[in-house]
Amino acid sequence: MFGRSRSWVGGGHGKSSRNIHSLDHLKYLYHVLTKNTTVTEQNRNLLVETIRSITEILIWGDQNDSSVFDFFLEKNMFVFFLNILRQKSGRYVCVQLLQTLNILFENISHETSLYYLLSNNYVNSIIVHKFDFSDEEIMAYYISFLKTLSLKLNNHTVHFFYNEHTNDFALYTEAIKFFNHPESMVRIAVRTITLNVYKVSLDNQAMLHYIRDKTAVPYFSNLVWFIGSHVIELDNCVQTDEEHRNRGKLSDLVAEHLDHLHYLNDILIINCEFLNDVLTDHLLNRLFLPLYVYSLENQDKGGEQPKISLPVSLYLLSQVFLIIHHAPLVNSLAEVILNGDLSEMYAKTEQDVQRSCAKPSIRCFIKPTETLERSLEMNKHKGKRRAQKRPNYKNVGEEEDEEKGPAEDAQEDTEKAKGTEGGSKGTKTSGESEEIEMVIMERSKLSELATSTSVQEQNTTDEEKSAAATGYENTQWSRPFLDMVYHSLDSTDDDYHALFVLCLLYAMSHNKGMDPEKLERIQLPVPNVAEKTTYNHLLAERLIRIMNNAAQPDGKIRLATLELSCLLLKQQVLTSSGCIIKDVHLACLEGAREESVHLVRHFYKGEEIFLDMFEDEYRSMTMKPMNVEYLMMDASILLPPTGTPLTGIDFVKRLPCGDVEKTRRAIRVFFMLRSLSLQLRGEPETQLPLTREEDLIKTDDVLDLNNSDLIACTVITKDGGMVQRFLAVDIYQMSLVEPDVSRLGWGVVKFAGLLQDMQVTGVEDDSRALNITIHKPASSPHSKPFPILQATFIFSDHIRCIIAKQRLAKGRIQARRMKMQRIAALLDLPVQPTTEVLGFGLGSSTSTQHLPFRFYDQGRRGSSDPTVQRSVFASVDKVPGFAVAQCINQHSSPSLSSPSPPSASGSPSGSGSTSHCDSGGASSSSTPSMAQSPTDAPTTPEQPLPHFPDQLEIVNETEADSKPTKSLTRSADMETANLSPSLIPAPQPTISLLCEDTADTLSVESLTLVPPVDPCSLHTLTSIPPPPMPAVSCPVTPDKKAACVEPTGPAEH
Amino acid sequence: MTYAYLFKYIIIGDTGVGKSCLLLQFTDKRFQPVHDLTIGVEFGARMVNIDGKQIKLQIWDTAGQESFRSITRSYYRGAAGALLVYDITRRETFNHLTSWLEDARQHSSSNMVIMLIGNKSDLESRRDVKREEGEAFAREHGLIFMETSAKTACNVEEAFINTAKEIYRKIQQGLFDVHNEANGIKIGPQQSISTPVGSSTSQRNSRDIGSNSGCC
Repeated sequence: MFGRSRSWVGGGHGKSSRNIHSLDHLKYLYHVLTKNTTVTEQNRNLLVETIRSITEILIWGDQNDSSVFDFFLEKNMFVFFLNILRQKSGRYVCVQLLQTLNILFENISHETSLYYLLSNNYVNSIIVHKFDFSDEEIMAYYISFLKTLSLKLNNHTVHFFYNEHTNDFALYTEAIKFFNHPESMVRIAVRTITLNVYKVSLDNQAMLHYIRDKTAVPYFSNLVWFIGSHVIELDNCVQTDEEHRNRGKLSDLVAEHLDHLHYLNDILIINCEFLNDVLTDHLLNRLFLPLYVYSLENQDKGGEQPKISLPVSLYLLSQVFLIIHHAPLVNSLAEVILNGDLSEMYAKTEQDVQRSCAKPSIRCFIKPTETLERSLEMNKHKGKRRAQKRPNYKNVGEEEDEEKGPAEDAQEDTEKAKGTEGGSKGTKTSGESEEIEMVIMERSKLSELATSTSVQEQNTTDEEKSAAATGYENTQWSRPFLDMVYHSLDSTDDDYHALFVLCLLYAMSHNKGMDPEKLERIQLPVPNVAEKTTYNHLLAERLIRIMNNAAQPDGKIRLATLELSCLLLKQQVLTSSGCIIKDVHLACLEGAREESVHLVRHFYKGEEIFLDMFEDEYRSMTMKPMNVEYLMMDASILLPPTGTPLTGIDFVKRLPCGDVEKTRRAIRVFFMLRSLSLQLRGEPETQLPLTREEDLIKTDDVLDLNNSDLIACTVITKDGGMVQRFLAVDIYQMSLVEPDVSRLGWGVVKFAGLLQDMQVTGVEDDSRALNITIHKPASSPHSKPFPILQATFIFSDHIRCIIAKQRLAKGRIQARRMKMQRIAALLDLPVQPTTEVLGFGLGSSTSTQHLPFRFYDQGRRGSSDPTVQRSVFASVDKVPGFAVAQCINQHSSPSLSSPSPPSASGSPSGSGSTSHCDSGGASSSSTPSMAQSPTDAPTTPEQPLPHFPDQLEIVNETEADSKPTKSLTRSADMETANLSPSLIPAPQPTISLLCEDTADTLSVESLTLVPPVDPCSLHTLTSIPPPPMPAVSCPVTPDKKAACVEPTGPAEH
Repeated sequence: MTYAYLFKYIIIGDTGVGKSCLLLQFTDKRFQPVHDLTIGVEFGARMVNIDGKQIKLQIWDTAGQESFRSITRSYYRGAAGALLVYDITRRETFNHLTSWLEDARQHSSSNMVIMLIGNKSDLESRRDVKREEGEAFAREHGLIFMETSAKTACNVEEAFINTAKEIYRKIQQGLFDVHNEANGIKIGPQQSISTPVGSSTSQRNSRDIGSNSGCC
């Protein structure tokens, strides 16, 4: 025997070197186990390796050879594991065993293998084994083991874990004992296990009863206490904060609270009614109402009850409403918040409770009387007692189930009908356990109360409602909540409370479980409700006041608060059929918008960076619209608002610091109020963003490049690729094209990039080459700015190279200036013509004849979508820039010739034409505004502002129609004067070429063109007495072909 | 064995990309990868040496828990590093990266180090996602990138250890508050009890990292 076994071992060894994965090797390992049933210092390593190898073979067998598993079961090898475990064999062996078990259950794919492993209760014995949980590694492996098992739970396997007869469910009860373990990963695993268990329990009545009756109350009450303790710690953290030093800790506590809410919500959405009733009851009566809601109202009153501060309570309640959508819970909670006089409510229910059952203070935040572990123990014993009279217990359970079915349905119906939470269902089902009966009774009382109030309310008409919400005299109840809301929003010192209040209103109104009626009673409408005819005026007024406040230079309103106000206002007044805002409110809002325009104007500068900031703010605002849920995840707003970025607080959640941030803020306020105002007035945004994706030339567009200025070059990219391309510079973009094989003179765009983001540098040792880099503005804060083009361009000679360089450089300046002008237009600022810009614009028309630099109209792109309309160029002419010029002239000339109302219209047209001339002679007077001032100034300086938007639109339309109408004439003039940059991008680029290189060479030409201009300019001059004489200006700036400005127009005539 | 720091990692990515195999491959060298055996594990720990400091890595696989929002959320928050894994032979796993990353960014602390891993680099013939695409994705989103094979163990060490190095670097820059365990970083106890599973082999392996890199 001995000898044989030796040789067998030897054989095993021999084989193991060849094939570890085989039945034979498992047999050998089995032998090792039988020889080493007792763990000693000497065989420890051998045993560990043996156990490890067994794992490996079993998994291999599961995947490749079923006989391996058969052998394992046949020899009952699991018993060896248990045996080793029970010997207190030390950490090393324990960890190995746990790892083995983890791997086994994680990797086994065959159901039957799994059943075998689970049978015989071995696994349950391991679960209840008292490991050394102080060892973090053992703890981690153990809880992972439980988690792995819980993931294997289903209708079939559940019987291996839950024993109906003995009321044992070790997997679950052992796991929940660690619900407040200090190690976060362990807590997460516990939550996973419980959720997996609850999910399975849906299909298993007996188990469900067990969980509810034996574990739910102890577990949930401890959980709720645990959450509440964190909340009090959180509140402490806020109260004791100095100089924002607690922010790190605070953010953890907030995240922890969110974790809990999400966990509770995950339980609730499993939708196990049994559990939800108990859980809802605990949450409401042991946590949300006594701790959160009670703190809303009783700040100054003393008392035994623990309390948290108002901002913390608002903040946490917002989180509750943002995350939990379980209807009975949120409705009961909202009912108390919105309609209750909280203090009375509190006292009353307490009395009721005291009357109805002997135990006092049910609705309060108190520590569970015993630890979870102890409660579970006690319940287990109770269960055992019950188990003895099992038939009895079972019968009870079954009866209940049968009974429950129809009752539940009926209940649901009434629930729906009443629109409140289910009545006294809880009392019926809970006959089994006193604690549960008690709490649920209490809850039903609350719901009855809610029902009765809502019934009363339902009879009220809209008007009454509005009266109830706005006036105080008609209300039967005082509404402390609304008072508090208004009060918080009224604060002018800061928006600390206002932000939370707005969040809470937002959260409640967006909660899917919320009964809309509850909110309508305070006239806080749910979004997207079709018919609403009225809104809460007091609230709207306060929201608008916040907006107005935000638009003040020293406003203390954070951007987040402003954005939320905008959201809420829209929600109040926008309906599917239109906007129901009252004129007076709209006017106030327009006032706020005006203020915001003034505010930005204050920061508007010619500086390069302003444009980048402007566009960047727009981008980040549109790309990341406010997400209230994310906002309420940020703990930093719990501390009083601050201005310094040194805290690391996100810009929108604090006040600006320094000029740059003040500028950014002003820009954002402007964007928000502009967008809100447009939306409420039902007008589309036509001017933002400054660059619209669809207007840009894109790769693979086919363009008509006849008469365009093209420079041949070789492009060497960074990775060494080399291609021949033609460089073309457009108004906003530079593009690299290659000839289109199908159409002569057309080109296919191979690359297009924004001039404004381009950097051009010479190459030191090669006068024919340029380095060109174009960066794409970063799309997310995590990405680095990413060059979309980084290449060396080699031209045929240094002249071409210089030309290209100048064009690109000028084009860049040009593109940026034009955008600046469009911003100016947005801000109703008089356009500040920089000589080049306007000079160009004018030159363009002439240039069409000789000059190559042109704007490629969408319509000329072969591949472009014909449906895309560009109002500006809708008067499809072969040469778009030209067409516009024509248009303008057509319109302008009538206005000039027909003596339009001399005084009134005279001034607009006059100013228009002057600036025409101005632009022609650009440099003459420093700004057209100067030119305008004589005429316009007398009226009011403000006047041009309101006009502006309208005029813009008119221009668009008219040009689109290309039918001159009377109204057009005026606008057309204005347009050329002030708006040209935004509306007729076309002509400008052309100019750029002119001014630059052609300056000298073309001057003759331009001179020749001048004559046709004159008649026109004379006209204009005649009609307008006052200032800037183009004639004068021309001589002043001889180099500006500017003179040639308008020539084509008149010439055509 | 005592350690200076403990870093908690999570592994995320679609099912079937080899997360748990990577985990086992890294944490326990005793399980040799073989062609006809796929083993994974949901939890593992291992000691590595970075800049002469003993650092314990604890890795939690989050597989199977995606249906519970609270769970994913908490996992992200409790980790200092995340390995975001896709399968180079299945494009859809690559396409889902964006949403994984969104989740990760949303729930995790901004300091969490995320490593992008293209797994199954041994299956070159069935490759469906180019290496360059992975690189580009990583660059665009500011991730570290590597292609690995849990099967051949290629680059597995590097993936985990480079992530640890990055975390360690951030600790030294003061970006992580090491006293706050919620970050997924823990300062080690003064002395620890004994060797973790597989530590003997892992020591060796962490030493010869340099030599086996570049196999992919």
